[in-house]
Amino acid sequence: MKRFIASIISALLVVITLFGVTSCTGGGGGGGEPTVDAEGNTIVKIMFHVDKSSTEGQAYQKRINAFNAAYKDQKIKAQPIFKARSAGASGYETELQNNQLEGTLADIITFDAPNTAAYASSGLLYDISDLIPKEDQDKFYSLNMYNGRLYGLPIQESSAGFFYNKKIFRAAGIDVSGYTAENPWTLDEFRAVCESLKRYGVTAVDMRIDATKDETAPYLLYPFIYATGGSFVSSDGLTASGYYNSAATAEGFEFIKGLIKDGYTSYAIGATDFFTGKVGMYLSSGWTIPDLDNKYREYFASRDDWGLLPYPKGVEAASATGSWSYAITNNHHTDKTAALELLKWMTSAESSEAITNATGMIPARKDVVKNYAPGSPEYTLMKQLELSGRERPVTIAYPTFSTTFNRVIYSLENGSVKDLLNSATNTLQDAIDKIKNRG
Amino acid sequence: MTKTSIIIFVLFLCAFGGFVAYDLATAKRRKEVYRVKSTATAYLMLLPAIALAFLFILLPILYSLGYAFTDYYLLKPNEINIVFFKNFVQIFEEISEKGMLYNAIKNTATFVIGVVPLQIGLALFLALFVNRPGIGSKIFKVCFFAPVVISLSITAFLWEQILAPGEGGLLNAMLGMVGVPPHDWLRDPKTAMPCIIILSAWQGCGYQMLIFLSGLSNIRKDLYEAASLDGANWWHKFWNVTWVGLRSTIVYILITVFIGACRILTQPMLMTGYMDHTVTLSYYMYNSGYTERFVGESSAVALLMTIFIGGVTLIQRRLFREK
Repeated sequence: MKRFIASIISALLVVITLFGVTSCTGGGGGGGEPTVDAEGNTIVKIMFHVDKSSTEGQAYQKRINAFNAAYKDQKIKAQPIFKARSAGASGYETELQNNQLEGTLADIITFDAPNTAAYASSGLLYDISDLIPKEDQDKFYSLNMYNGRLYGLPIQESSAGFFYNKKIFRAAGIDVSGYTAENPWTLDEFRAVCESLKRYGVTAVDMRIDATKDETAPYLLYPFIYATGGSFVSSDGLTASGYYNSAATAEGFEFIKGLIKDGYTSYAIGATDFFTGKVGMYLSSGWTIPDLDNKYREYFASRDDWGLLPYPKGVEAASATGSWSYAITNNHHTDKTAALELLKWMTSAESSEAITNATGMIPARKDVVKNYAPGSPEYTLMKQLELSGRERPVTIAYPTFSTTFNRVIYSLENGSVKDLLNSATNTLQDAIDKIKNRG
Repeated sequence: MTKTSIIIFVLFLCAFGGFVAYDLATAKRRKEVYRVKSTATAYLMLLPAIALAFLFILLPILYSLGYAFTDYYLLKPNEINIVFFKNFVQIFEEISEKGMLYNAIKNTATFVIGVVPLQIGLALFLALFVNRPGIGSKIFKVCFFAPVVISLSITAFLWEQILAPGEGGLLNAMLGMVGVPPHDWLRDPKTAMPCIIILSAWQGCGYQMLIFLSGLSNIRKDLYEAASLDGANWWHKFWNVTWVGLRSTIVYILITVFIGACRILTQPMLMTGYMDHTVTLSYYMYNSGYTERFVGESSAVALLMTIFIGGVTLIQRRLFREK
């Protein structure tokens, strides 16, 4: 008897779960109007991906405080929510999804730029194309576009390049002074420098081909594919076949493979080998600048000992870009006026300058003038961003792209580029189709 | 989802209440007054634990079971449709095409086949080693158990440094002293999984050693004395006394190590990333459900894996059943 009842109850629980999960709807949240506090202020909630106590978090808080002071008379009050990415970017994303499910999405969120397509296509982001005038859009180095529509504005920008050890270069008799962001070196010139470094007796370059567990390798290496004329997906982001496995894309990967085969780079370069003078060049983003300035004084006493070179160009010039952005969400608040005011404030030239002063990143706006000395690493990064910055592929299945890119780089040394790219293309196309067919 | 959870929870409580009422009614019918009181008390004391187990174990399992038959995409949590067996068809298609899921199954099988005997054998060996009276036995016990209390993430990181490619890796540096050239242990498909197996067995065997020690303490000493009087050597004593005495302990350890091995995730995730030669079923599920956001498909894999593990566990129990 007990067993019979237990079976009935178990079956009931499964059936209820099955039907229960399919009838999920977002929670209430107080209707379509924005929340208004006791003093009559319209509350605009904004969720940040950093900890409040961090330098970046404090910069956001200061800008929020300034907004609240400036919009006091207009009765708009910004309420920041800080959800630090303690479990990586995915942890923050889980928070977003939970909020979406519960109907408690903040009015504005910060998000990593490569997620634009996935978030926009899923309806998480609000289309702001008609709310931000064209002349304002033009003030940004990049925009969060999907299918020709605008879904977000960048908080700040990033760029990467080849940090090089001037002491080694001088000793090896290598002159790279002519290679600037305005006049980048070519892929052949890059190889020639690698050869000279190899002959001098050091590992030529740390291309970060070992950094395939996260977004590092895709972020740093995708410009090489664009440089050879390759691509990853069609302009609408829905087709990988014929792009990811095209001859031009293969050429880009073959170039990286050639660097491995010729002994210019390897998977075995230690994390600090460049910083301790064992490697000639190091591919990295602007975040390496403080390390070189402060952390490795024993090897790099001053900026006379290190410099930064741009990405080499092939049939075209391309460099890494992308950072986090702001977006208005498609939450239950139908009136986006107050959220738009806050978005404009947080992406203003003043905010852009304040936040990048705290983070050391490149301002997202062209009208924020940072007086970097021409030829300085910061100047090279900013100029390169302006002249050749290309965003990572815009596709609804970006996480799958990232995974497949890592797998190609990981297996590049011994695998056939053609086979690796065909496999990566199939995997990415399957993921795109799955999301697309789901509607 | 909250509403569904509440409905399920209420239903579960009703079921629990039903069981209690049924039990009480049976007791009353038998006029066992004392039993009625003690049963009620027992159930009330059980209730908090059962409620927590329901919320944090049973409910997620039920949801996962439900999601296996849906097209749940993490970015569209409000639009979930029942797709019946479509996810399972996709799974079998991917296996037949020898895709990443095929690799995950192959690698998980390799890991299980490698780690289960190694870890159990090592644990038994260590247990027998430290079970002998001696000054150092307690120190050895602590030493062998120490890796168990260290976080898997930390041990994975430490072993990554030991197995680092080039001359910077500890293992390569040591081998270099005897003229062996450096090897990229974790990138080479031939050596990556064996390295993960060794690390996992080293990390986990201390726990099983303690269970074996507990089992060894239950074997009567006079059995060994009797065996000695009969002229039994070390092997005869081990096989006819120790092994027989440890039978139920071995079954328990075999089942728990097998289940744990099937669920391996942390080591490949931290040491190699999502790569063909080290991806495992749990890692595939994590990547599919969490990174790529296909919760429906990921749940379907989880369901199949649960059925497989449950089936094998039942077979193990039957094979080792006391005759």
